[in-house]
Amino acid sequence: MADYDQRPRGGRGGGYNNRKRRYRDEEDYDRRPQRRRYEEPLPVKVRKQLLAIAESPLKPVEEEVGVIAKTVCDNYEDAELRNSFCELVVQLVVEQPFKTPFVAAVVLVVNTLKSEIAADVLARAAQKANEGIRRGEWREVKLLMKFLGGLQGLLEGDGIFSVLQDLLTKAVDLQTENNEETIGPELVKIILFTIPYIMSSSATDVQEKANSLLENTDIIASEPHVLQSLVDPYPGNGTDEATAPNGVLSLLQKQLQNEATSGWELVCLPRPWKVLLEPDQADPLAIAPKHTLPTIVIPEVVNAGPRALFPELYFSVYANQDIETVPSMANIASCLLRDALVDTINILDYNRNATSRFLIDIDCYFSPGTFVKRATPFDRLRDLAEGKSTWKPEDVAVDAVFSQLFQLPIPEHKLVYYHSLLTESCKLAPAAIAPSLGRAIRFLYRNVDSMDLELSYRLMDWFSHHLSNFGFTWKWTEWIDDVELPAINPKKAFIEGALDKEIRLSFAQRIKNTLPEPYQQLIAKEKEKDTPDFKYDNDDTPFAQEGKEIWGLLRKKAPEDQIQPIIDRIHTQAIDMNLPDPLVASTDAYMTSICYVGSKSLSHVLSSIERCKERLLAVGAQSPEARKQIIDSVMGYWKDQPGVGVNIVDKLLNYTILSPGSVIEWALAKEGTRLSLPYVYEMVSATIGKVTGRVRQVVRGKNVPGILPEVKLGMEQTVERERKSMKDLFQVMEDALVGWATGTKDQTMQSGDGSTGDEAMIRQWGERWLRVFRRKFAVEEAWFLETERVGVEEGVAGLEVIDGVGAGNGHGNGAVDGNGNAEVEMVE
Amino acid sequence: MPAAIRNTVDRLDKPSAYYQSRNKKRKYDRDNDERERTPEEPAEDPLKDAATLYVGNLSFYTTEEQIHELFAKCGEIKRLIMGLDRFNKTPCGFCFVEYYTHQDALDCMKYIGGTKLDERIIRTDLDPGFQEGRQYGRGKSGGQVRDEYREEYDEGRGGLGRAIQAERLKEEEEYGKGR
Repeated sequence: MADYDQRPRGGRGGGYNNRKRRYRDEEDYDRRPQRRRYEEPLPVKVRKQLLAIAESPLKPVEEEVGVIAKTVCDNYEDAELRNSFCELVVQLVVEQPFKTPFVAAVVLVVNTLKSEIAADVLARAAQKANEGIRRGEWREVKLLMKFLGGLQGLLEGDGIFSVLQDLLTKAVDLQTENNEETIGPELVKIILFTIPYIMSSSATDVQEKANSLLENTDIIASEPHVLQSLVDPYPGNGTDEATAPNGVLSLLQKQLQNEATSGWELVCLPRPWKVLLEPDQADPLAIAPKHTLPTIVIPEVVNAGPRALFPELYFSVYANQDIETVPSMANIASCLLRDALVDTINILDYNRNATSRFLIDIDCYFSPGTFVKRATPFDRLRDLAEGKSTWKPEDVAVDAVFSQLFQLPIPEHKLVYYHSLLTESCKLAPAAIAPSLGRAIRFLYRNVDSMDLELSYRLMDWFSHHLSNFGFTWKWTEWIDDVELPAINPKKAFIEGALDKEIRLSFAQRIKNTLPEPYQQLIAKEKEKDTPDFKYDNDDTPFAQEGKEIWGLLRKKAPEDQIQPIIDRIHTQAIDMNLPDPLVASTDAYMTSICYVGSKSLSHVLSSIERCKERLLAVGAQSPEARKQIIDSVMGYWKDQPGVGVNIVDKLLNYTILSPGSVIEWALAKEGTRLSLPYVYEMVSATIGKVTGRVRQVVRGKNVPGILPEVKLGMEQTVERERKSMKDLFQVMEDALVGWATGTKDQTMQSGDGSTGDEAMIRQWGERWLRVFRRKFAVEEAWFLETERVGVEEGVAGLEVIDGVGAGNGHGNGAVDGNGNAEVEMVE
Repeated sequence: MPAAIRNTVDRLDKPSAYYQSRNKKRKYDRDNDERERTPEEPAEDPLKDAATLYVGNLSFYTTEEQIHELFAKCGEIKRLIMGLDRFNKTPCGFCFVEYYTHQDALDCMKYIGGTKLDERIIRTDLDPGFQEGRQYGRGKSGGQVRDEYREEYDEGRGGLGRAIQAERLKEEEEYGKGR
């Protein structure tokens, strides 16, 4: 934005700004007030004005609209200005959706003065829409439709309705063919979100058209999508809190029908074009020239686009409060605000500061009176006059961020983006945002047991990360009663998991200091030790002598042939003791010693693993039990800092010392209580993420165009193999988890701890796990089918649609899986 | 028309002014106004596929594990290299984080740079890649240059700048002698 805005460099030797910049690492320039040396060129000035439209609550936006339009038209001869204006208009509506109604108003006014410029804008918008349709960039298409909808008043005849009609026809075709496909609903979503912007535009006599369109979208919009239950954030998990999920489409359809009966009030949408309506004068908008909408074509075969499409559910953390701080789901404002917010959030991930500003300023972009004054405390809402809005702008904004953070199967960007947005918003407007976050956290915590397991893990991860940015302060006293709950209770598991994550970002003593007395017992003394004890230092531990010797040799970096005799000694003794697998005993001593030698830091343990990897690889290949012992030893050594253990296991997987199967078995086969441990979930989902990431990688590799046939054959075999082992892995999980979920595992595993009271709880955990990993499997299968389908189409330009088994289609979801592997570019 | 399309909002995943100024040919000619320099596109951008980040303003006490915990939120970490004091081989407040992909590094710039780790705002910068030797501080006394002359007391980074500390110590000693 700073084109002609070069910051003046202070003269050298100015003391303050000397070249070495000892005192300042980053600021390159010192910005001192200085008189502008020249007048900004007009295109730059107009660019700035248009970019900042509606941003300031102090400037009447109608005035801004008029000034910009007038400048552009008065300088019609300035080709650069004209060009950059038209270009920016189209770019602004796809990058900053909040501003669309205002930008549309500028174009409407421009049309009354110089209609050629409006025609130019229309041509560019239509061209961009065509490109978006071709690439399957449905969000961009929606944004352009919203913009063109706002221009309906300057369009001839049906205008934008004809495009919407084409979209609907296509959607109906797709759905008739296969009701599990997800592009059709996406197209209907575009139609439904465009209608309000047409109805709040300057266009007249559009009601009938809208009503009839709405009648026809009903059949698709009102039918809950078959995949809806797959992405339900609150499946209930056997608790009473289960609520029927609200699909955004059916919700919006209903809201629009209500608007239709009440004369399309659409109260929250701004109408900045009304500036032109002066009494006693002919409406300039009505007499301005009309344009034919340039052709926008929906092709025969539509592209699903770069992100996997799934049914969208309306998620709110502020739904059931005694005073409405966000629009209720009955009100169309709920969907309209959410849609604009979510688009802004997901489009502008490259500048969280700017996005947070938009979130804070949301009240600038909707009609005045939509919200209560910023930062009004919740308790004050009661005192407001009857009929005034009680919607808190910060609640509406925060709610939208949470809807993305808790989006299933995955949101568009990495989860940490949404963390950073909440952090930044909280920094920008702490008094407004912090209390809203507090209420959100309370709601989420209250319902943590009925939440999807993956989401409760996301909550924990966000919560601890957020606190780490704000001095780890939280009113822990609120949850004191839950400290006494058994470890296996989901609320208690959440508390312990969150504390562990806090410690991982900080250190035990620091976190302990932030906690009230009843919580102190949760942070054991051992957690404060940098180096955990070495169990072989205790002579009562079997093989204590050998353990110490192995450690001594490893520390000295002695060659393996010096270690072997000690391993052999363990084996001999183990056989004498009738231990089932002597290798297990020696592996324990060996791996525990590696951990102890490398206890100083992750790089220390990595270099000791590196030195010992031959033996570790051999051990794993020899005996599955010994391989599982490797995990037992790592997690045993790091039992008080399980995060470190999880990390080491992850690296051992990379070395192929561990197999994914061994991790899954370690986690799920033995103890049901492990299901409640957040770090076990973390370990398993990271492992699964590695496996699925690998499959996607080889599938993509195979589909790269221009590969020699014989090479391709080899790659196809690799894909076959990798997919098979992925399926087998999911099957292993399925079997183990079904065992826990149905209780059959408990009977075989009553290992004398007699905690049968936990049985029901373990079943519940089993079900929650099952849901998550069944979904992950379905998502992978769907991805594969879609990728192959696109591959086939690219090859023979065929039209065959393979039935989606179990889940929606979509290729390359452009986001992160549990492991944090970014999905890179897809087969185009 | 500009060749590359500029976004309507600035991007956070660009190299810092520090990096750019280091790579610019410096001209100290006073009369040479900044604006007159033609921005020449470098033939090959060394950061085009950069998967490594320089991370600065860490506390000396921040551990690898803590860094790992935060930075893994942007993707699996391939390698983590702690910045060390050239003489003591103790952490001196910076590190290099290497991801497997360029995208992860960009995301880290966008989502983690400028947020807190160990209760300090940390700084991230795209880096063309780690080379042996770069893990050591380049300051006179072994740490980072910025910790030589820092006038503000920073508990997490050894108090005052080391050169200043040394100077004060000297002054005190001389004062003692004078008595």
